[in-house]
Amino acid sequence: MAGLKDGDDYKDGEFFKSPALLKLVCFGVGFGGMLLFFILRFAMPDKAGAMGYSWLFAVIFFLSLAVGGLFWTLLHHATNSGWGTVIRRLMENLATLIPFILVLALPLLISGFGFRDALWEWFPKRAAVLTSANEAAAQEKDAYIAERNAVIARAQGDVEQAKKDLAEVAAPSPGHRAHLEKNIERLEAKAYKLSKEDLSDEGAHATLVDKHFLHDEALLFAKRGYLNETFFWLRQIFYFLVLTAIAFILRGWSVQLDKDGDPKWFRWMRRGSCGFLPFFATAWTFLVFDWLMALDFTWFSTMWGVYLFAGAALNSMGVLIILVTVLRKFGYLKNVVTLEHYHLMGKLMLAFVIFWAYIAFSQFFLIWYANITEETRFYLTRNTGLWNAYTIGFLVVGHFFVPFTILLVQKVKKLPVVISCVAGWNLLMHALDLYWIIIPERGPSLTAHLGEANIAMTIPGAWLFDILALVSVAGIFGFFLLRQLSSASLFPCRDPRLDESLNVVN
Amino acid sequence: MSDSTSSSSELFGYVAEFSSASDLYHAAEKIRDAGFRRWDVHTPYPVHGMDHAMGLGKSWLSAIVLIGGITGSSVALFLQFFTQVSLYPTVVQDKPINVFTLPAFFPVTFELTILLAAFATLFGLLGMITLPRWNHPLFNSSLFSKFSNDGFLMVIESRDPKFKREKTKELLEEIGAGKIEEVNY
Repeated sequence: MAGLKDGDDYKDGEFFKSPALLKLVCFGVGFGGMLLFFILRFAMPDKAGAMGYSWLFAVIFFLSLAVGGLFWTLLHHATNSGWGTVIRRLMENLATLIPFILVLALPLLISGFGFRDALWEWFPKRAAVLTSANEAAAQEKDAYIAERNAVIARAQGDVEQAKKDLAEVAAPSPGHRAHLEKNIERLEAKAYKLSKEDLSDEGAHATLVDKHFLHDEALLFAKRGYLNETFFWLRQIFYFLVLTAIAFILRGWSVQLDKDGDPKWFRWMRRGSCGFLPFFATAWTFLVFDWLMALDFTWFSTMWGVYLFAGAALNSMGVLIILVTVLRKFGYLKNVVTLEHYHLMGKLMLAFVIFWAYIAFSQFFLIWYANITEETRFYLTRNTGLWNAYTIGFLVVGHFFVPFTILLVQKVKKLPVVISCVAGWNLLMHALDLYWIIIPERGPSLTAHLGEANIAMTIPGAWLFDILALVSVAGIFGFFLLRQLSSASLFPCRDPRLDESLNVVN
Repeated sequence: MSDSTSSSSELFGYVAEFSSASDLYHAAEKIRDAGFRRWDVHTPYPVHGMDHAMGLGKSWLSAIVLIGGITGSSVALFLQFFTQVSLYPTVVQDKPINVFTLPAFFPVTFELTILLAAFATLFGLLGMITLPRWNHPLFNSSLFSKFSNDGFLMVIESRDPKFKREKTKELLEEIGAGKIEEVNY
């Protein structure tokens, strides 16, 4: 009650000086690791496919943390919250790492690196089926045009014949005449429809290509409007622009508010966020559709977007908690962030542990119960052999029961070191969750090796690439995070809601 | 609530009014330090930190809720497992009739956990605050009705072991109470 903090005392902000050595280590590990990774890639061309999965795993892990930061920023503004103003800058800093990580994903998307076709089978499959369909169409085209022309001629002959029939009947009864006229009408409609067929060379070719495409790869044909290279690249550009723009616009306004204290920035952030949220949700949902769900283009789950979102939001909060704890250890934010903030962040983390479990279980449950062939493949792989133990041990127990039970205790949420350990545990589980999503797809395709004895489900030694990729991207992530942290005050020092946040009690 | 053992008076306690939330807060700290147990404060709006000033510990309600939740999940799991697997094995959709059929029981378990936890919350709370009841002696006080308008009130009940008719009144005056009213049963 007594001794309320006054935001005016904090209006100069607090500036982080990133330790030069730490920054250098992050830089060295990050870019050195990446260099090593790509040298290995070109030294071992036969392992290129396996390494693509490693790089995707590392990139998506850190991307999800950055995207989670963007989500918390947007949510904080959209709900007009006051509690988290003092940690909002950390969320914004996390969000602005998105473009750096997305650039790291470029090798996955550019086919020259040899990752793309191994990761997303629909690229090579589509190319192959289109080639064979085009060849077949070129061969069959002339015969096809002749055949269709004959059909059209026959239909027109039928019309003529029917007209002649009518004329030849001497004195038809009204019923007979109506019947014959109706027949002419029907035959004319059929002939008209047939005459509309595009029987130019290009038209016939396109029809034949579609026919062969549908015959050879029915599922890919059904999804051809979405799974094609042009639209794929348009979508990637959309993700990059949307996520980057939202992150930088919000942080830009927030930093501007630090400088001039003009409350209009605060209003802009609030209103802008409500408009940005649908774009953010669309971008992230379809990004994980394209990058993760499309690892097997025959499989689909409508809960995929929200499943990956739950993991991202949960672990981004974990990163914030760890970040605050480390910064406080080094003497920053000492008077700004209180145990009440820890309590609030801990509660959000508990909520998202439950939310993640709810979504993950619902996704499994619906597919398991319905038992429909085209849906079960994903879980069949992951509930077989060692992956089954992995699922139950890490995802059911490790990702849900352990943090849930610990976070239920109120006291835990007010012990910075303990809650940071729980957050660290959650991050480990999140990594294992993404590993579980991506890596089982790395095993050689069962249909490609049909008839061979002893099909290996895993690639020996490939886990070393996973570790190397994760460490490299971690270094790069850390380097840019340190850079962002030191480029502005650690908290929005002239925000209208600073007082409220400094004195928050829950 | 009965006062049959005490023949001294029909006194329920004192209602004391303070001029602001801040005054009430500091008064509460003093009453807490004086070791009173049966007392409460009433304000028109929640005062952050008042639980600390009053020396209130953690509520038992969360423990009751936990027990309710655990009861709900065990009852649901037991009922389903016992009837569908042990007593009369029922094959649905080619699902196994052993421990691996557990996911099928989760929705009911989840719902019953929440239901019983919610019941435990509601009825536990009602029990702890002894509701419902027909009337309360505090409604005899005209001063007390200010609690929902502009009054920052403290109530000390006569059943508190530390309560002394004269000394407590003096104590209240000492810590800055404005108006003090005696409330009878």
